[in-house]
Amino acid sequence: MLTVCPYFHVHQPHRIKRYRVFDIGNDAEYFNAEDNTDLNNARVLRKVAEKSYLPTTAILGELLAKHPEFRFALSFSGTVLDQFEAYMPEVLHAFQDLVHTGRVEILADTYYHSLAFFYSRPEFERQVTLHQKRIQELFEYTPKVFRNTELSYTNSLAKWCEDNGYTGIMAEGWDPILGWRSPNYVYQPTGCSSIKVLLKNYKLSDDIAFRFGNKNWESWPLNADTYAQWIHAHHGDGETINLFMDFETFGEHQWDDTGIFDFLRALPEKILAHGDTSFKTPSETIASYDSVGEIDVPHILTWADTDRDLTAWVGNDIQRDAITTIYRMENDVINTDDASLIETWRRLQTSDHFYYMCTKWFSDGDVHAYFSPYESPYDAYIAFMNALSDLQLRVHDALQKKETQIPIAKSFWSRVWNVIRTLIQKLFDVLPFRHKRIRSRVI
Amino acid sequence: MRVLTFGWDYPPIKNGGLGVACHGLTEELLELGLDIVFVLPREQPIIGNQKFIFANKTPATIHVFPSALLPYQHAQSYVEYFTEDGKRIRFSRRIIDEVYRYADSAYDIALREQFDLIHAHDWTSYLAGVAAKLATGKPLVLHVHATAFDQAGSNNVDPDIYAVERRAFHNADSIVAISNYTKGIVVDKYGVNPDKVSVIHNGIKPYSPPLLPSVLYELKAQGKKIVFYNGRITIQKGVDYFVRAARRVVDTDPQVIFVISGWGDMEHQIMHLVGELGLSQHVIFAGALWDEERDRMYQVADLLVMPSVSEPFGLVPLEAIQHGTPVLISKQSGVAEVLTHALKVDFWDTEEMANKILSALRYKVMNRQLVEEGRKELSRITWRRAAEKVLALYKKLLDFVHKER
Repeated sequence: MLTVCPYFHVHQPHRIKRYRVFDIGNDAEYFNAEDNTDLNNARVLRKVAEKSYLPTTAILGELLAKHPEFRFALSFSGTVLDQFEAYMPEVLHAFQDLVHTGRVEILADTYYHSLAFFYSRPEFERQVTLHQKRIQELFEYTPKVFRNTELSYTNSLAKWCEDNGYTGIMAEGWDPILGWRSPNYVYQPTGCSSIKVLLKNYKLSDDIAFRFGNKNWESWPLNADTYAQWIHAHHGDGETINLFMDFETFGEHQWDDTGIFDFLRALPEKILAHGDTSFKTPSETIASYDSVGEIDVPHILTWADTDRDLTAWVGNDIQRDAITTIYRMENDVINTDDASLIETWRRLQTSDHFYYMCTKWFSDGDVHAYFSPYESPYDAYIAFMNALSDLQLRVHDALQKKETQIPIAKSFWSRVWNVIRTLIQKLFDVLPFRHKRIRSRVI
Repeated sequence: MRVLTFGWDYPPIKNGGLGVACHGLTEELLELGLDIVFVLPREQPIIGNQKFIFANKTPATIHVFPSALLPYQHAQSYVEYFTEDGKRIRFSRRIIDEVYRYADSAYDIALREQFDLIHAHDWTSYLAGVAAKLATGKPLVLHVHATAFDQAGSNNVDPDIYAVERRAFHNADSIVAISNYTKGIVVDKYGVNPDKVSVIHNGIKPYSPPLLPSVLYELKAQGKKIVFYNGRITIQKGVDYFVRAARRVVDTDPQVIFVISGWGDMEHQIMHLVGELGLSQHVIFAGALWDEERDRMYQVADLLVMPSVSEPFGLVPLEAIQHGTPVLISKQSGVAEVLTHALKVDFWDTEEMANKILSALRYKVMNRQLVEEGRKELSRITWRRAAEKVLALYKKLLDFVHKER
C-alpha cells in the first residue's frame, strides 16, 4: 500500500505600502496602497484569485466529486483569510465548500504567518490560538496537525505541539537530516513520545512547484502519466508520499499556459490507476502508519532555498534588525490593550516582510528566485522600519494615555480610603473598647 | 596585438571621469599583454608604460575657461592656449575646430604607426578614430563614455556634437557602451544596430583608503548629519533636484547639512535656488574638492547622493563606498546596474529622494550594511574584468576582419 498525502499552503501577507519618513506620526495606515503596484493588497488578491484560487478550487471540487478516494490538506494563514473576507468572499466560500466534503483537512498554523516561535513563545501561542478560533469559526473544524511558517521546524517545536495536543507536524524531508533514510515514511521527533512528523518529499513536490513550467528541465513537459509513474516507483520503499507546496503553484507560480491545470485535473486518476495506491489526509496518514524511526532536528529547518534554514528571512543585518525590533516591542504593545495596535503589530510580524529584505540573491545574481513587490530589499526595509517607527510612536502615546489615567484612578481611591480610614478612626474613638492592637493593625 | 588608442586627456591631468577611465582600462590592457599606443591631442605629463603620441607637439600648456577643461562642452565653446610662462599663443579656438584638427593629425599618425586596430574614447576622439580608419582600413572601436544626450540632460542636444557622434557610430566596426543605460541611448537616439554595441561596465581601482583627519568637526560635534554631493554642477547632474529634496529633508530633520562640491555652469542657478528655498543655513558650497580634501569629505559624510538626470556610469558613488560612506544614486545611471547595495531613486522623485536620505540617516544598521556589502561588491567591479571583455571584443573583431579577407 502506498498513499499520497498532498498539502497546499494558502497565504498572502499584508504588504506595506511605500511608507515614508514624513508619514511617521501622520499616517496610521500601512497596508492600504491603492496604486497599480504589487503593494496593493486588494489588487494582488484579486489577481491571484482569478489566476489561481478560483480555477484551482473548482478543479479540486471536481476531483473530489469524481474520485471518492481523493483527499488532501490545506493550510491557511489568518492574513489570507482576512483578505478573502474583505476583498473576495467568493474565494472563501469555494474553500469552505471543499472542506465541507469531509475529505479536506485543515492544518494548524500561526495566524500571522510569523516566525514568532523563534522569537517569543507567548506571542506564538497567542497566534496559534487565534488561528484555531478563526478556522473553527469559518470551517467548523479544529486542526490536529501543525505546520509552522515556511515549514520551519525544530525538536522543540515538535515537543510544543505534542504538549499541546497535536497528533502530527510537518517538516522538510531534507537529506542531511534523514541520512540514508527515506522521507516516505512516518517518523517520530526526537524528545517526543506520541506525535509523528510527516516529511515533505521535496524532489516530487518541487517537480510540480518549481520545475513544472521550466523548459530547460530534462523532464519538460511533464505529464500526469509520467509523474504518476514516478510515484508508483516508490511502491515497496515507502508508505506515504508527502507532496507539500504553495496552493498558488496552480495558476500563479505555474501559469495556466504551462498546462498545470490539465496536469492537476488528470493526476488523481493516474495515481489511483495503480491498484494499490490511494490518497490520505495528514491525520489519516499519521493514524495509519507507525513511526519507523526518530528525526532529530536541533537547528531550525525550513523548506527554503538550498540552505533549508531561515537565512532568507534573517540572513542579513537589516533583516535581523527589523525582526528583533518588532519583538522587542512586545510587552509595550500588549500592555496598551489596544486591539488595533496589537493587530497592526502582528501584521508586521508576517515573515514575508523580512523575506523582501533578503539580499542573498545579490551575490548569485539569481534575481528571479526571490519574488518581492519592492524594487530593492532596502526599499522593503525602509517601508517596514518607517511603519514600525510610527507604530512605536502610537504605542508610546497609548501607554502614556494609560499611565495618565492610572494616577486619576489612584487619587480617587486613595481619597475614598482616606474617608473610610477617618471614619474607622472616629469609630474607634467613639467605641468603648479602645484596643490599641486592633487599631494599629487596621490603620 | 597592437592598438592605436585615441583619447582626449589622461592623468595626471585632473579632468573628470574620462581620463581616469582611459587610464584604468589602459593599465589593465597592458597587463593582459596588449601593446598600446595612446594618442592625445596635446602634450602633457605622462604616466604608465605605454607609448604616447601627442598630436599637437606645441610646447604649451592648455588653459581654458574653468568648465571648458571637460570634453563635454558645447562644440562651439572656446579654448585658450597659453605658453608655460603664461603667454597667450592662440586665442579662442572652438572645441569643434580642435576635434577636426585632431582628426587631421590622426590621419598622419595612423599612416606612420603599425597597429592592428583602432580604439577611440568619446566624441572628441571619434573623428580621430574615423580618420585613422580611413587612412589604414583597420577595424575601429568607439568607446562611449557619454553622449550629447547625457550632457544636455534632455533631447535639446548640441547639434555639432550629435552630428560627430552619429557619423562616427555609423563608421565604427564595433561600439563599447559603458552601461546598458548608455547602450539604450546609442541605439534609440542614434539609430545604431544593437548588435553592434557591447556593454562593458567601467571598473574602479581596488583601494582601501586610510582613515583621514576629520573635517567639519564643529558641525559633527553639534550632532549635524552630513549629506554630500560631489560632481559638476550642470544640468546633467541633477543638483537642482538634490536641493529640492534637501528642502523636504530639512522640514523633517533640521539637523541635516548638505555639502555641494564641484563647479559648473549651473552654479549660480543652484545658489539662487538655495536662497529661494531658504536653505542657506543648511547648504555648504565647498567648491571643487580634489584628492585628500575630497576624500576627507567622503569620510565625514553620512551619505553621498548622486542625483544625476543622465549618468552613463558614475564613479563617485563607488569612491564614496571605498571611503565607508553609503550612497543614494539615481536610477538613471549606469552604476545602478552593477551596484546592488545602494539606495536608488528616480532623479525627478524628490519626495522619494528625501525619504531615502532621511531613512539612511535614521537607520544605522542599514547604513552599515550598505557599506560592508557595497565594499564586497566593489571587489567585483574591476578594470581587469572590463579589460578582459575589451580584449575579447578585439579578438572577435580581428577574427571577423581576417575571415572576411
